Amino acid sequence: MGRKSNQRKSSGARSHHSSQRSSLPLITMPPFKDEHILLIAPGSQMTLAQLGLPETFTPARFRFPTRMFPAEKKGEYEPYRVLERRQEVKVNNGTDTKPDVEMKDAESAADGTTVKTDENTQNNDESTKTIEEVFYEEDLASDEGAIYPIENGRIVDWPCFFALLTHIHNTLSPPFHTPIMLVGQPVWSARDREAITQFVFEKFKAPAFSLMDSALAACYGYGTPTATVVDVGKGKVDVTAVTDFAVNEHGRGIALEGCGGDAMTDRLVELLGPKGFTREMCEQLKRSNITEILPPGTPLPGSSATARQGANPAAVASTGGSEGDESAPRGPGDGTQTGIEGDNGDDDEGVLDVAAIVSGNPTEYLANVEKEKTTTKKGAADPKGTRLPNSKKEKASFQFEEFVPVEGEKAAAHGARQYTRRTRDIEVSVERFLLTSPRSKVGNRLTSGILEDIATQIHHTILAVPDATKRSELWDSLIIVGCGSKVKGFTQALLAVITQKFILSPSGTIFTSEIPSNFTTPLPTGANTPAPGQMYHPSAAGVNPLLVAATHNNPGMPGTPSMDPGMLSHYRSTGHSQTPTSVKTLKLPEYFPDFKDQGNSNAPGASGGSAGGNPGASGTSQGGHGIEEAIFLGAQMAAKVFFVIDQGLSKGYMSRVEYNESGPSAIHEYIL
Amino acid sequence: MNPSNPPQAAEYGGDEVSAIVLDPGYSTTRAGFAGEDAPKSLIPTYYGKYNADGQEKLVFGDDIFVTPRPGLSIYNPIGKDGIVEDWDMAEKVWEHSFISRLTGTRAGNPFQNGLNDVSADELPTEMEVESEEKPLSDSPLLMTEPGWNPAKAREKTIEIAMEKWDTPAFYLARTGVLAAFASGKASALVIDIGASNISVTPIHDGMILKRGVQHSPLGGDYISSQIKAIFKANSPQPITITPHYLISSKSAVEAGQPPQVKYKTFPADKAPDASYRALLEERTLSEFKECVVQVWPGPTRLSAPSPTGVSNEDMARTTPGRPFEFPDGYNQVFGVDRFRAVESLFDAKAAIPDPDSAFPPPTPAQTIPELVKASLAGVDVDLRPHLLANVVVTGGSSLLYGFTDRLNHELMQMFPGPRVRVTAPGNTSERRFGSWIGGSILASLGTFHQMWISKKEYEEHGPNIVEKRCK
Repeated sequence: MGRKSNQRKSSGARSHHSSQRSSLPLITMPPFKDEHILLIAPGSQMTLAQLGLPETFTPARFRFPTRMFPAEKKGEYEPYRVLERRQEVKVNNGTDTKPDVEMKDAESAADGTTVKTDENTQNNDESTKTIEEVFYEEDLASDEGAIYPIENGRIVDWPCFFALLTHIHNTLSPPFHTPIMLVGQPVWSARDREAITQFVFEKFKAPAFSLMDSALAACYGYGTPTATVVDVGKGKVDVTAVTDFAVNEHGRGIALEGCGGDAMTDRLVELLGPKGFTREMCEQLKRSNITEILPPGTPLPGSSATARQGANPAAVASTGGSEGDESAPRGPGDGTQTGIEGDNGDDDEGVLDVAAIVSGNPTEYLANVEKEKTTTKKGAADPKGTRLPNSKKEKASFQFEEFVPVEGEKAAAHGARQYTRRTRDIEVSVERFLLTSPRSKVGNRLTSGILEDIATQIHHTILAVPDATKRSELWDSLIIVGCGSKVKGFTQALLAVITQKFILSPSGTIFTSEIPSNFTTPLPTGANTPAPGQMYHPSAAGVNPLLVAATHNNPGMPGTPSMDPGMLSHYRSTGHSQTPTSVKTLKLPEYFPDFKDQGNSNAPGASGGSAGGNPGASGTSQGGHGIEEAIFLGAQMAAKVFFVIDQGLSKGYMSRVEYNESGPSAIHEYIL
Repeated sequence: MNPSNPPQAAEYGGDEVSAIVLDPGYSTTRAGFAGEDAPKSLIPTYYGKYNADGQEKLVFGDDIFVTPRPGLSIYNPIGKDGIVEDWDMAEKVWEHSFISRLTGTRAGNPFQNGLNDVSADELPTEMEVESEEKPLSDSPLLMTEPGWNPAKAREKTIEIAMEKWDTPAFYLARTGVLAAFASGKASALVIDIGASNISVTPIHDGMILKRGVQHSPLGGDYISSQIKAIFKANSPQPITITPHYLISSKSAVEAGQPPQVKYKTFPADKAPDASYRALLEERTLSEFKECVVQVWPGPTRLSAPSPTGVSNEDMARTTPGRPFEFPDGYNQVFGVDRFRAVESLFDAKAAIPDPDSAFPPPTPAQTIPELVKASLAGVDVDLRPHLLANVVVTGGSSLLYGFTDRLNHELMQMFPGPRVRVTAPGNTSERRFGSWIGGSILASLGTFHQMWISKKEYEEHGPNIVEKRCK
């Protein structure tokens, strides 16, 4: 490793950096190249990955579902479900070699999760008596039998997790000289981190490895040294206070269960389940544009809290490519969700579901089909309802999509699985605003809704930060990331809950900020008795005691002999003021246009007027991945800094040399 | 470095394991790897118990502060004097402290952890038998204990470490000694202000001087009880602390005005019990201690007249008060009262009487100056000046504003002759985790290797070996 290469980085903009630095005798590592850096960010649902850093940072180029399927041989794993099919007729297109990786361009959904499909059983039943051939077929759409190696951030199945890493590594196939950065979940224990380090160095032979804490990555993404990072995931929430680029381990909220996106879906299922909604419907409803979390105290529109399923079964129209399209099974991987990117539009063109227009909310439907003309059409179609923002409407509908196996002769003869996409509109009442309300029967917690749980954790975490002078800044620098936070209104509602529970009243706090101590107080010489005018008279009428307190807020006590002046100044954990006096979220830097938009994922029904009416919603545009993936953006920035710009000076990564010398436990000196 | 060249084959072959340092206190339990500068894991020693679906469930860690659970009640396995009372639960709490952040649940069978290529037929089939892995089977463990820990408790501790956790090597060290090490001293008089106890421990050349060890219950919890007594006697109205979990929303009120608040109600069978409320009240009280409470800086006591003839208490009245807002929104400025809460640590007569308090009124012998005096009386006269020149202050409650100044004055008045020098680390975490940090230093020393009690020695000599080896 000690060999110095004469290779220079190609990037001109930073060459002066590297030449400056490499003149230092400390350097042992040659510079890494932008295009060789491999980033992996595992999550419970999706693992983001990317090889190489682009010119301007973009959302992750690859998204792998965090799951594997057991292979035929025990202990081995396949990335797709493999079906064994016996058949007498030989078919050419039985196997599909499409990569499971969802390319960014074709990808549209927020986490791009596959839509669950019904199991197509007919294939397996077909074991006929005639001479048969065995086909192995990868079923891209099914997740039956899948093993999810990460649950609530914890690695529950190590062999499967390692198989997933290997699969990602193989798919991206980086060159040998590829440093790897992995974004680590807060819940991973020290031993977990060591095991991963060992695996990366020994399996991938990486020359350098960096294991970055996800909260810190979020801070890099936002370009701030101090922040409170709230990561709302699928099943859990992490709350971390970061001060001066250091994670405060004590009091950190790690993998708070029952507070993530699933909890919101669960609540919708609880509310709507009796009305015939499936979990999948609720999941899509949660992601749709009509679902919104209203700040506490906001009256719900309308009076009745009943919902009805708008479209009757007869109104369901099949719009998918069922006829004349026999090519590939329409796996959910390739751009299946409608209304998000323009290229999907042609599928639906001309198949206007008249029944849905009649029975459902015509505005929503038309708005979806022809987004361009939304405003004019709306005005014509529904003159009184359109101007209302979504939060004022009692009822709204969203477009539900599902994949159903194609039935009929053709499919049966063909053998291969085919799915068709069906969409229909479903109307929902005010339940769509209640997804963070407390569930009625939860056995093990006296919950008041997930927002309050998260707010309490934030309060606990910030209060546990030892440097009390930083707490106020932490309250003013919330970073909310994670897909669970994408539900419209989440951030505003969370801030509102914090405000009504924890914010100190101004009367108690307005004067408490540390005021310069050069006010006149008797010097501690003992010679001069305090003048009566400077005394604090609790009984004095008309004097606001707080004003007195503030103007006399002088830590220098009368009668204090100065003992060791250094002693007084260098610890000051007490005598500070209470927090929070305010709470704010941080803004993502504007120079990453790709991360700018907070996208609502499966959002077919663009609700009328919400974009203009609610400035807090920050221009909800559809498609793509927004600031909820700031962690990945931060990982790219950190990788650039650690691997390219400072080349190891900041101890941002562990090199192979160090690994060989000290073993996996040395990673703790580099964990960021 | 050409990207198409395969990397060198050299691989890590060593087996470096760092020891785990476990520092169990009354209020919190600290655990981390030796050689690091702060414990990775800090959990409350309190744990919660509740019933759900007919099953009894236990809650460990910070979660008890965050999530109220139906019928939750809070316990502490350690008694008020700092000695373990409930060994089964102490073991569970301690185990949680290192499993949650350090060791994790064991990765398990090395044949299946994905790091070894083993063909399927080579896999031993009886591996399942060993599935009950013990949590520490490859980490040496250094634990701490208070200076007055009885021999029985020490033997029980090594028994748990060796038999329940399967640690290959073990050592038990006194918190006082370790706190001295953390300040870089082999001889010191350690004053440890904890949550349930304050203690004074004389250390000479790294050895504890047993006859000089003194402790009394005037720790952080006692200060909390004094604050509560102040709240009770508060004018214009007594203050009750309503923890956050009972409050649904509050609105701003003027100082001294009754709170305007919407409370939360729980069904009677679901409400967490009084111990839970007490735990969360303590959270508010510790915030109060951080923000408001102040130690009267001296040089004379709060009740004494100052050199100018005005009594110190009147002097304290002239200093500006500090405002504090309670979870229900009630807020008030605290004046001289904020000095009175801690005065009884130095002056037993200044204690605020409260018949409902769990703490009996302190005796003069329990105050810090008297403890120091008694401690020094128990050591050789030649050692005293050296100890007084090396007073080390540690423990979370010593972070009270102005504490070290006052201590300095008290010691100087009591011992006018020899030079008194008080050392208190400036950094909050060094003060709170003094004994843990000392343990981290000790266990990572190369020369410490010979001190470990190995599993083999334990098996030969039994738990009694701890008395011989860890003096």
